[in-house]
Amino acid sequence: MGTRILTVEDDERIRTAVRLALEDEGWDVEEADTGEEALQAFTRQPSDVVLIDIMLPGIDGFDVCRSIRRVSDVPIVMVTARADTHDVVAGLEAGADDYLTKPFAPKELSARIRALLRRARTIDLAPTHLRFGDLEIIPDEGIVLRDNAEVHLTKTEFRLLVELASAPGRVFSREVLLERVWGYGYFGDGRLVDVHVRRLRMKVEVDPANPRHVMTIRGLGYKLQQ
Amino acid sequence: MTKPITTRTRRRRRARIIAPVRRRFGLRTRLTLTFALGAAVLSAVLAFITFGLTRQNLIDQRQDSSVSRAFANADRLSAELPYATSPVMVARDLNGLSHPNDANAVLSNNGRWYATDTSAFTQQAIPTSLSDMVDSGQAARMRTGINGSTQLLVGVPVSGLDAQYYESVPLADLQHTLNGLAWTLLISSALTTVAGALIGYWASRRVFAPLLDVGTAAGAIAGGRLDTRLPEGVDADLDLISKPFNEMAQALEDRIERDARFASEVSHELRSPLMTLAASIEVLENTRDDLPERARTALVLLSADIDRLQQLVEDLLEISRFDVGAITLHLEEVLVVELVYQSVSILGGGGVPVVHDFDTDELIVRVDKRRFGRVIANLLDNAHRYAGGATSATIERVGDMVQISVEDEGNGVPEDERDIVFDRFSRGSEGGNRSNDTGVGLGLALVDEHIRLHGGRVWVEDRRDGEHGARFVVELPLVDPPELDEDEVEAQ
Repeated sequence: MGTRILTVEDDERIRTAVRLALEDEGWDVEEADTGEEALQAFTRQPSDVVLIDIMLPGIDGFDVCRSIRRVSDVPIVMVTARADTHDVVAGLEAGADDYLTKPFAPKELSARIRALLRRARTIDLAPTHLRFGDLEIIPDEGIVLRDNAEVHLTKTEFRLLVELASAPGRVFSREVLLERVWGYGYFGDGRLVDVHVRRLRMKVEVDPANPRHVMTIRGLGYKLQQ
Repeated sequence: MTKPITTRTRRRRRARIIAPVRRRFGLRTRLTLTFALGAAVLSAVLAFITFGLTRQNLIDQRQDSSVSRAFANADRLSAELPYATSPVMVARDLNGLSHPNDANAVLSNNGRWYATDTSAFTQQAIPTSLSDMVDSGQAARMRTGINGSTQLLVGVPVSGLDAQYYESVPLADLQHTLNGLAWTLLISSALTTVAGALIGYWASRRVFAPLLDVGTAAGAIAGGRLDTRLPEGVDADLDLISKPFNEMAQALEDRIERDARFASEVSHELRSPLMTLAASIEVLENTRDDLPERARTALVLLSADIDRLQQLVEDLLEISRFDVGAITLHLEEVLVVELVYQSVSILGGGGVPVVHDFDTDELIVRVDKRRFGRVIANLLDNAHRYAGGATSATIERVGDMVQISVEDEGNGVPEDERDIVFDRFSRGSEGGNRSNDTGVGLGLALVDEHIRLHGGRVWVEDRRDGEHGARFVVELPLVDPPELDEDEVEAQ
């Protein structure tokens, strides 16, 4: 069975056009025009990627995002009206992995989806077992343990942690992390990294306000501390 | 062929000016002059009245005392003269009378004249009009000049005898006092006038100060700070100015905001259909090879114009964000060289050499990367559209600033168009000659807005090497600029 993409968009024309474009890429597309419908569809049969427009009648995109995130670590791409509003950060904090601003080119969307699927699927560069104090990472199995209890990370959070763990103590700039985790170039949005680091800390740190593992190096980037 | 939009015409309706009377002097000068004039008139009137009253008063006093003394003297003479048996005794009686040092007396006794001081006052000095009255038995007085000075003459018939007593009292000392008074009054009037002028000047400044505030506020509004307002309720009189002014400013702000919001909403609304168009065309592009030749050509046209429309909507949205002040910059500190390299290679399509010295390697600027990238991309795009492409992008340090310049080999920008090329929808005088794939003329306007928001500036000049072509320079402030080396300082 091919890759299934759920698109949540209330404008029927856009939805149809995007479906046609995505189907040309060889993906199966399921459409939903409201948040409620999207949640039903996802419950019925979870898809591999979800594309959510933030501006929806009824329950909005943020809520859809949060609801899906509660039950799944599926990659979520958000569609926002503007790049420089708080919507982006709010969407990322609601659990989205990446975002696009309207109007976007379907090619750009395909590229984003491919990047998300790629890193969701293979993690091949890290050693088999990593330990940082109370934190244990088993890249091959996609498992992270804190005090021997499994921590549930989304695929993007996991990938971010593994990138940082690939060179403990080394400072990774936002640009490097954007490129390695999201496949963005120099002009990627640094907020993707910042919000994901924040989300990661909520899960792997005992006290997220005073992190002991994922450290911020001001003006330079982030590093994972032994 | 698209109809080219030429340089934006800045037609303006003729301004309506209220009360177009031109005055020779400024308001402040007029106020000062009015105060000075008022003070001068008032003090002059007061001085005249003071002088007149004082003079009258002094003279009356002098007359009264002189007259009463003359009567007293005449009484004494009437008692003594009957016993004076010789002229010598009469003279002694006359000299024995009391009068102030500067007063002189003459006495006619039985047709014979006696004088206390013949050099100062003799019977010749008595006007006949006075002596006639006294001879007829009436006391009289008059003012007359004797030996060139004003004297008060008092004549009193000595009762019971054929004798007339005259006294001459000089009024020169009064004149002296009055002269002094006149001078004092004149000087104080002059001082009052000066004081009036000073108060007028001060008052005009005080009155003018709120007007200057109005000017400052209007200047701020003209400079784009539309939320500038004057304080209200501080002074009931000033509210006559500040209330309508603030209403005007509010109306202006509302109107500009409405325009900007309109542009923003229109662009917003355009995005959904554009999204559909872009996606549909991509689907068509995927089946391009199956399309007949004519349809394929149409698709190429459609595709190119959708891109253009998309760019236009994006630019319009961005520029309307500037207008409503809704831009949020994501400032990051980045290396200039890296930033320019990445902008040129990723967003500008590459191929343009980036030229810089080693001393620029460590320079850091605080920018919104995405927006700065657009700046470079727009400059390269501009060069591509109008000048056959950029020849180089140069990074140079100038003091605490860094200059990033993009040069091309086109015809350059004429001196008189160097400001308007940054205007919206302006494409210079050659706008009409462009091919049909020109931009919409927002690119450089966006560059200008972006750079200004970053605290820098942008301008266009001739190429430095004297070759044909334009040089667009973006200047940005550096973050913690490192100290210049000694030899570099010398080189500059």
